[in-house]
Amino acid sequence: MKIISFYKGSSTFWCLIIIGFSLSHTPILANKLLRQIQSLPQQSQISGTITDGTYPLTGVTITVKGQQKTVVSDFDGKFTIIVSPSDILIFTYMGFKTVTMPVDGRSIINIRMQEDATTLQEVKINAGYYSVKEKERTGSIAKITSKDIEKQPVTNVLAAMQGRMAGVNITQTTGVPGGGFAIQIRGQNSLRSTGNDPLYIIDGIPYSSESTGSSSTASLLGGLTSPLNSLNPDTIESVEVLKDADATAIYGSRGSNGVVLITTKKGKIGKTHFTANYSKGTGSVTRFMDLMNTEQYLAMRREAYANDGITTYPRSAYDLNGAWDQNRYTDWQEELTGGTAEYTDLNTSVSGGNSATQFLMSGNFSKQTTVFPGDFRYKKGNIHVTANHESDNKKFRISFSGGYTVQDNNQPYLDLTRESRLLAPNAPSLYDVAGNLNWQNNTFTNPLRHLNGTYKALTYDLLANTVLSYNLFPNLEIKSAFGFTDLRHDESSTAPSTIYNPSLGIGSDNSVLFLNTTNRQSWIVEPQLNWNKLYGKAKISVLAGGTFQNRTGSQLVHQALGFPSNSLIYNLAAASNVTITQNDESEYRYQAFFGRTNLSWDDRYILNLTGRRDGSSRFGPGKQFTTFGAVGAAWLFTNEKVLKENRILSFGKLRASYGTTGNDQIGDYQFLDTYTTTGVAYDGVVGLLPSRLYNLAFGWETNKKLEVALETGFLKDRIFFTAGWYSNRSSNQLVGIPLPGTTGFTSVQANLDATVENRGLELTLRTVNFQNNDFTWTTNLNFSSSKNKLVSFPGLEASTYRNQFVIGQPLNIVKVYHFTKVDPATGIYQFEDVNGDGEINETDDKQTVKDLNPKFFGGLQNQLKYKQFQFDFLFQFVRQENYNANTTFNMPGTRSNQLASTTNHWQNAGDVSPHQMYSATNGVVRTAYFNYTESDASISDASYIRLKNIAFTYDVPQKWLNKVRCRLSLTGQNLLTFTNYKGADPEFKIYDYLPPLKVVTAGLQFTF
Amino acid sequence: MRTIISFIKKGLLPIMCLMLLFSSCDNFVDVELPNSQLTAPTVFEDMATANAALTSIYSKMRDNGLLSGSPAGLSHQLGNYCDELDFYGSPQTSTDYFYTNSLSAVESSMKNLWTNTYNQIYDANAVVYGAENSILLSTANRNQLKGEALFIRALLHFYLANLYGDVPYITTTDYALNSTVSRMPVATVYSAVKADLIVALDLLPESYVSPNRVRPNKYTVRALLARLNLYQGSWDEASNDASAVINVIDLYALEPNIDAVFLKDSPSTIWQFSPALSDTNTEEGSTFLFTSGPPPMSALTTDLVNSFLPSDLRRTHWIGVITDGVSTWYYPNKYKNTLTEGGSMEHSIVFRLEEQYLIRAEARAHQGDLIGAKEDLNRVRTRAGLADTAAVTAQEIIAAVLQERRFELFTEHGHRFFDLKRTNNLTTVLSSVKPGWNDDDKLLPLPASELLLNPNLNPQNPGY
Repeated sequence: MKIISFYKGSSTFWCLIIIGFSLSHTPILANKLLRQIQSLPQQSQISGTITDGTYPLTGVTITVKGQQKTVVSDFDGKFTIIVSPSDILIFTYMGFKTVTMPVDGRSIINIRMQEDATTLQEVKINAGYYSVKEKERTGSIAKITSKDIEKQPVTNVLAAMQGRMAGVNITQTTGVPGGGFAIQIRGQNSLRSTGNDPLYIIDGIPYSSESTGSSSTASLLGGLTSPLNSLNPDTIESVEVLKDADATAIYGSRGSNGVVLITTKKGKIGKTHFTANYSKGTGSVTRFMDLMNTEQYLAMRREAYANDGITTYPRSAYDLNGAWDQNRYTDWQEELTGGTAEYTDLNTSVSGGNSATQFLMSGNFSKQTTVFPGDFRYKKGNIHVTANHESDNKKFRISFSGGYTVQDNNQPYLDLTRESRLLAPNAPSLYDVAGNLNWQNNTFTNPLRHLNGTYKALTYDLLANTVLSYNLFPNLEIKSAFGFTDLRHDESSTAPSTIYNPSLGIGSDNSVLFLNTTNRQSWIVEPQLNWNKLYGKAKISVLAGGTFQNRTGSQLVHQALGFPSNSLIYNLAAASNVTITQNDESEYRYQAFFGRTNLSWDDRYILNLTGRRDGSSRFGPGKQFTTFGAVGAAWLFTNEKVLKENRILSFGKLRASYGTTGNDQIGDYQFLDTYTTTGVAYDGVVGLLPSRLYNLAFGWETNKKLEVALETGFLKDRIFFTAGWYSNRSSNQLVGIPLPGTTGFTSVQANLDATVENRGLELTLRTVNFQNNDFTWTTNLNFSSSKNKLVSFPGLEASTYRNQFVIGQPLNIVKVYHFTKVDPATGIYQFEDVNGDGEINETDDKQTVKDLNPKFFGGLQNQLKYKQFQFDFLFQFVRQENYNANTTFNMPGTRSNQLASTTNHWQNAGDVSPHQMYSATNGVVRTAYFNYTESDASISDASYIRLKNIAFTYDVPQKWLNKVRCRLSLTGQNLLTFTNYKGADPEFKIYDYLPPLKVVTAGLQFTF
Repeated sequence: MRTIISFIKKGLLPIMCLMLLFSSCDNFVDVELPNSQLTAPTVFEDMATANAALTSIYSKMRDNGLLSGSPAGLSHQLGNYCDELDFYGSPQTSTDYFYTNSLSAVESSMKNLWTNTYNQIYDANAVVYGAENSILLSTANRNQLKGEALFIRALLHFYLANLYGDVPYITTTDYALNSTVSRMPVATVYSAVKADLIVALDLLPESYVSPNRVRPNKYTVRALLARLNLYQGSWDEASNDASAVINVIDLYALEPNIDAVFLKDSPSTIWQFSPALSDTNTEEGSTFLFTSGPPPMSALTTDLVNSFLPSDLRRTHWIGVITDGVSTWYYPNKYKNTLTEGGSMEHSIVFRLEEQYLIRAEARAHQGDLIGAKEDLNRVRTRAGLADTAAVTAQEIIAAVLQERRFELFTEHGHRFFDLKRTNNLTTVLSSVKPGWNDDDKLLPLPASELLLNPNLNPQNPGY
């Protein structure tokens, strides 16, 4: 909070404002003075500085009207150009209003450009193999830029995308640093839960999203580690998400679940400049559950035993029988997960270059501690280098970008969240007087025992990419991209004997070490040809290319048991028993030819044809190649004569697309007839068994996508509204087709004739509410609603999927009991007996279907800018149902804390109450309780509105610091959450893991 | 223009050549196999890997098949299904369904019995196919592999037919064919079993290929043939097959010490399962032994325990007693070690010589060779410390042999159940001890999901 002192005393504050105001207007004053200087009528060199009122603008294009001559402003906003006194200069810069200025005989021309929030239609959108102007695009592409990413204190770029893109649903799986995210673009397409990842492309290189972790080592994270943690969000210039067929078909077999294109920052023309960015902040848990206090808890326990007719409390009822102090109260949530995580981030970069060569080098270091007690942290270091060069004749270009990231994560062996909720509120203190872990005479299973075990992960990730291009003829460009990735992930977790109560007498001969090493290398070569031509009103561009990609991977998982001492636990050689539980190698090869033809007529009609022929090593002979393609069209009806001069409707485009994409996320070698080692010996020989029923004949999953969208801008695009409707049908599902047991197996990998449909509506609205020289206020709203449906599934009833799916229902459903009431006579939960057989059992009575997909979600972002001040905030909203806190606890009455609301329970015959009687041992009550946790009473509204991000930045006027630019910022993540959710945080994938944290950071940026 | 040409020469040509190179290689997407996996053909070009493919079937049978000593195996389940065991474990578990005669076609353990067995049959068929198509393996090796695999296939189908009645006999790995098969009459299954065994008999050697008799040899095949012929009432053949085993005195002899019969080096063992680790014992030990009452799972029925003569060594040495002062429980004490306790003493025995003597005794009684029959019966009785049988007529001898089988072979792979069934005594005997027992209960239900997945398997067995 160093910057807070800056605002001490309002006089300083006003001083700043006044000085800033006067300074920002000086160039205008200067302009007027300079206008009187005369110059010669001959061609002469003129120079000047371009600013936005505060800072110089780098990269402004200055052209002379009617001539080819073009220059670009440098880092200090300076430019020089040789012109005639009568020439007219045009200054253009993305996001700013174009300025036309006659030279008028001057030799110095200083320009102040004004930001224009309505020019986004001119922005180039990266579509992967090509880029397209926002207004001319035919496909559905959502984008965020570094402006949004930089304002968020996050370590994974997926976190920065949350709530900002229509149709993109992202859920954080844990608040523990280094954890993962679940992402779904336009719903779940594949029946296989592992087959729904989008394709990630970083600077043109496909980046495998397959988890690098192993379930035996990464138990802490409630899911496996996300490889995207390797990417430093500070180095990202933009993220584009391709959604419909028109945008994704050029990625063919890998485009089914959408494509995420990540572009890193590049160097800019200008003198060398240096940027340093330092931020520091804190994080804490967003919401705790409202649990019983000691009094409520002990009352519950006593009543439970009374109900069970037990008068002598059993030996294990330490909370009641006197072993523990009954006047003690600890808020265990606060104690175990209520700590403050510290965030530190330092980012430095050097960039610069001339018109031929530009470079950027950046380094980043970040560190994050946890909310758990103990000394745990996540560290990440990253370097990023880019260089671009263009030959003098502007025909040859080369660009390189490379990044290397090291992540070092050190966390407890297990997440303490669940225990913090279950522990009795009168449980003893964590440490004894001597400062050692307190086991309270062996009655207390101290939760901090988990801290004696450690999760460690070291990840090294290299990414390099080179693009060479050459203009063979003015209209024809030949280029090739080369990419290389190398990832190594070493993960370990330890369970030393000290995680057990010492009274159990467990020694280091029972200590366990798990080791996981994952290696992954890939290379890609993508030669391409680009051809553009203008024929009168027609514009044609054609792209053709090929892809050759190879990826090899290996994973080795060890389990070591028994060490002479716990201090040797990381020494495999010291273990008495070492087992290799997994040793896999894989190779994946992929080859494709792709093309695109874009026809544009008079800027009114645009037709975009894309296609790809894909081959993948994941399929057997004859099934390796398939063709995918799409057609997209757009009609810019505001360019029609009738509407061209319309004063209200400034932009209108109708676009539609249809096409096919595929999915090959089934793992390698699935078509081969192979034997795998069993790890089980017979007669001293470790066995080999057939890996699967082999089927050479399976092929790609296909996804047919249809989209229609309308984009309209009103009042010079100050109001911009888009509405898109899509319907995707994914068929030919690659699943294990159920087989009768006489085949030796229960299923065979094949294309099942099942169809999954995702339909939805996506709306975005951008309004420039206010805009003048000093103040701008813009609002962005995105809204997505979608419906997922299993349309058909032949043989569902006989298959192992029968309890998982229902035809006509979404894929992400659960079948549960229907809770009816607490019987006022018996005080026990009652459920609907669907088949009326007088018994409640799983197969017959779990017939209530609950959909866990979000009904709709979106975000509302506001940006206010006043001079050097900028204020951004984003609300994210989700409407959904999910498991609630009922699933967390054990039966009310047992030694497990409960929600405070559970006190409203049945006590006497005739009571009408939401919760059944307390009990510690009654089997009938217990069965009813378990059924309750698997009933619709345990799935409830988990909707929320969250202040996802808030950022306040202030640019210190430059004149104060003599050419040093300084920006102060204050940002927050997940600061406020509005929800009726019965539980802790409504954002989770698996319950009882640490929820996402709320984070506040303060930052300081210097550039010179 | 010059620069362009020179650039094309220097820079672009190599790139274009590279492109051509790549586009010309059609099999770019064909990949090498990873080292951690083997293709089926390569497995059968090396005896070490082929052996591993074969022996993994035995470990599956040992750990989770019909013949497994685990609680899900027939020794435990059929013991509870008929009159050998009482079940004390959790209600609504698979054994409880067997014990209470409430088997259900939709219950998952019923499905596991069926699918695990056909999975083992698949593996056996894969070995048969692999051995037949191997190029590099020697004839002797191919015969060994194929012989054992055919034996496994026959053995498993034999049990299936006895449990389920009409079942499909699977001889190929082709899932397209196997997913639409129909049930075959028991007689057809038996002939197929016999045919496979006769081929195996020719292929397998007389000696054991590895120590401790953990791999079947020619005489193991004979032993199964003897049992098959006994079940079919082919007395001559049953008698001859049993003799063919009994006469090999170099290999087999009755173990005189009653406590050593189930040790791993017992001379009466014909074939037994090797344990997974060199220092472990049997699943049977862990399933049946218990150290305090009430029993965690199953205990011997008092009826069975009381049927033994008090002087019967099997009563005193093969049955353990636990009492808590009020109640007394008995457990099978044939295997005396649990799986992980104290060094490898015992292996799970599948075929032993005592059964062959009893087969021949029964067959001889039917053939009219009453002296021979009594001689065989008395061999088993003598070892148990009993006097010679008092039976005189053929009928009496047959009844005595069946009684002796109950005492000798209790809780071993469902012998009691199959004996009652093949002699048509099942309903007579069990309806008095099992409430609601009727004739339909002689067959287990086919898993309901199997009938849905392959309607050709209809109809379901009666009563389910």
